[in-house]
Amino acid sequence: MENLPFYQSHGSEIELFERAWRNNLPLLIKGPTGCGKTRFVAHMAAKLCLPLHTVACHDDLTAADLVGRHLIVDGQTVWSDGPLTRAVREGGICYLDEVVEARKDTTVVLHPLADDRRILPIDRTGEILAAPPSFMLVVSYNPGYQNFLKGMKPSTRQRFISLAFDFPSATQEVAILIGETGIDEMLAKRLVSIANAFRALKDHDLEEVASTRLLVYAATLIKDGCEPALACRAALVETLTDDPETAMALREVIDATFGL
Amino acid sequence: MEEYVGQLWHKLVTRVADKQHADVAVSLDEISKTAAIFFRALGGDAGLNLSAAPSTRHGARRSWRDRLASSGERVELSWRDGETLRLPEKIDIFTKRSLNRDLYLWLVALSAANVDDNLPWIVRNQKATQVTLERFPGLLARYRRLVNALLPLRPLPTNLPTAEAAQEAAIRQALIQPGSIHALPPSKKPFQPVLLWTHPTPPLSAASKGSSSDGAPEREQSEDKNVEKSRKKHSAERTDMPDGKDGFLMMFRAESLFSWTEYINVNRPQDEEDDVESAALAAEDMDTMTIARDGETSVAKLRFDLDLPPAGEDDTPLGEGIPLPEWDYKKQIMQPDYCRLQELVSQQAEICELPAQLRRTARCLRSQFQALAPTRTWLKGQQDGEEIDLDAWVRQEADLLSGKHSDSRGMYRAQVNQQRDLACLLLADLSLSTDAYASDHARVIDVIRDSLYLFSEALSATGDRFAMYGFSSLKRGNVRFNRLKSFDDRYDGLARGRIQAIKPGYYTRMGAAIRQASALLAEQPQRQRLLLLLTDGKPNDLDRYEGRYGIEDTRMALHEARQLGLRPFCVTIDREANEYLPHLFGAGGFAVIRKPEDLPKELPLLYAQMTR
Repeated sequence: MENLPFYQSHGSEIELFERAWRNNLPLLIKGPTGCGKTRFVAHMAAKLCLPLHTVACHDDLTAADLVGRHLIVDGQTVWSDGPLTRAVREGGICYLDEVVEARKDTTVVLHPLADDRRILPIDRTGEILAAPPSFMLVVSYNPGYQNFLKGMKPSTRQRFISLAFDFPSATQEVAILIGETGIDEMLAKRLVSIANAFRALKDHDLEEVASTRLLVYAATLIKDGCEPALACRAALVETLTDDPETAMALREVIDATFGL
Repeated sequence: MEEYVGQLWHKLVTRVADKQHADVAVSLDEISKTAAIFFRALGGDAGLNLSAAPSTRHGARRSWRDRLASSGERVELSWRDGETLRLPEKIDIFTKRSLNRDLYLWLVALSAANVDDNLPWIVRNQKATQVTLERFPGLLARYRRLVNALLPLRPLPTNLPTAEAAQEAAIRQALIQPGSIHALPPSKKPFQPVLLWTHPTPPLSAASKGSSSDGAPEREQSEDKNVEKSRKKHSAERTDMPDGKDGFLMMFRAESLFSWTEYINVNRPQDEEDDVESAALAAEDMDTMTIARDGETSVAKLRFDLDLPPAGEDDTPLGEGIPLPEWDYKKQIMQPDYCRLQELVSQQAEICELPAQLRRTARCLRSQFQALAPTRTWLKGQQDGEEIDLDAWVRQEADLLSGKHSDSRGMYRAQVNQQRDLACLLLADLSLSTDAYASDHARVIDVIRDSLYLFSEALSATGDRFAMYGFSSLKRGNVRFNRLKSFDDRYDGLARGRIQAIKPGYYTRMGAAIRQASALLAEQPQRQRLLLLLTDGKPNDLDRYEGRYGIEDTRMALHEARQLGLRPFCVTIDREANEYLPHLFGAGGFAVIRKPEDLPKELPLLYAQMTR
């Protein structure tokens, strides 16, 4: 258990995950980028002692990339399992990150796995894999993207139980920064105060707001001896905006927090 | 000669008395965007506008130099009300530019602090200072620097009479140690204004009385020279329109000078054009502009055609009007069936060809748009293509080896253009403000007309489904929604004729028009649906639809559009759009075209970028 990835719980999500796993229910996690979705899944996989197969979805992802394909080895064709098939065989967790990025027809391959049948038919080999009880399907996506093209098919979506993540509360975020990087509490509080000031600008001046991940980056830089204002500029301001005037205003917020 | 000597004297004494430092001044214009974002980041209300504060008379003791030069009697202080955050137009009291800039940011931070407005002025400001410094400890050093720089500029208590000295001592104490003073000692003479704090008695703004543009059609844009100054709002009060029998037109120049502050004689038909400038100068010096309420407001170039045209000449109404809701942000309720929108189609439209001056650009755009590559995808199992389809080949090999019959399909992968699955509705603002001149030879409406033409040319080349509507309004009962081309109409001579027939009129009730456009667009089966708004200014109408009310209703309408899965985008030529569009459309949801004459060419290119 020493190798458990750090995760700061902010509600009943751990309990829900365990219940879903025990009862063979697939899980959908939604939330803004960098709020801890991937870390949560890694944490739970370690906690439940399950192998974790992560697939970062993109729009060229095909069903074959998930299920597997034939490869040519020494003039022979050899079937090679994809990450989904491997997870089913091993009885681990298959985690599809940013699942809406994948084409809608790709995700249809998940359907028989995600309902009570829990099977994976592999049409190339004619095999039908039945998922062992320890197998769990977890998908995640970020509903905030201004990508109005993409959404999930309702028929896919309705096969999952859903868990909404958001940025943690100020006290929890402070705990996360301390737990992740070991900076002192005063500094962690200031970083969180900056992040919350930036989050007030969402949908107005910034398209995406400062994630917990970016705060951890900033804290890591500071822990390494970087000057706090400089670390925040590099990790937060320049990452969040390209507009010089907006950047200047964000820098003012940082200066207002750390002083000149 | 007398005049010349007078001018010299004036120059001399004002220079002696001038405590300002022009070379290190920081103006609101250069800092406004940063200040606005800073304000919102510190927790300020995102719906507020940023605007220059009018100067107000403080009435405090002045130095002999100031009195000699009759300067230093007015001061610009900041305050905020339900609609606007007001900051000084420029700050130049300190000798260092960085300090002047710091003062701006300090005032912004102070205004963002959430403090009970009903507290006494001195307590409220100390409290706000404490709250701000507690939340943003980094500001402490800056605050100390500002206080240290400010104190030497204030009169020493030892040089003042007892009552004023006590007051001054209290203010100094409150500045040095916020929270230590609980009441301001009374004094007959007002205290020296405190530039680090908000306004003790902010004047009512015109907007908060709910009627700055009642009866005044939106024509400001034609008056370029006023753009700078008009940001600085005058405090306004409302009186009844005198009936004219009182003989308020002063016959003697000397008297009319004194009477300026009581009244601006809004009934100034005999004012000469060039007099507008001197009137503006005089107005700058006034505390309160009193504007009488009657239909005929002043600005020299106004024209009125606000009555709806007689039914026979008006555009043909289609259907009997559509009731639409409107959002009231003050009550936070949606008022059902509050507006009536009438879809119209122009009677006078005649089938016509593309205007000759646009043909060249149109041809160019058409070829660009035909070549515009939509999203590319790889198709597998093709008979021909750029790359080998390894999967297909392996499958065939495997089949052959296992002795199965291979249905030899293609072994190549090919990149092709996927079909565009896109619908766009263009909504153009046809309010009276578009009658203003955008450049030397074209009115805004002409620019919009050309834009509509070229936009249609470009879109018909791509084959995307599109519709075009224009809108204007006259109070909530008459929202006019001109159909130029519906989704089902072809883009033909008649559609061009309707574009040719658009004319400016009335006001801009944006919310209702957006709601109707959203409803039409939402019926389209396409996957991407773009709602493109083409405008030249803020939402406003004759009734209370202006200022924050209009903005918030529009914002709600856009929110509803997003809920329907549409993507709203705004293209504007309003130079002040940065003040309110981020609130409506978000950071990446709008484009400001600086030179209106570029709009026709820019619009199709923007569309191309958006839909790639």
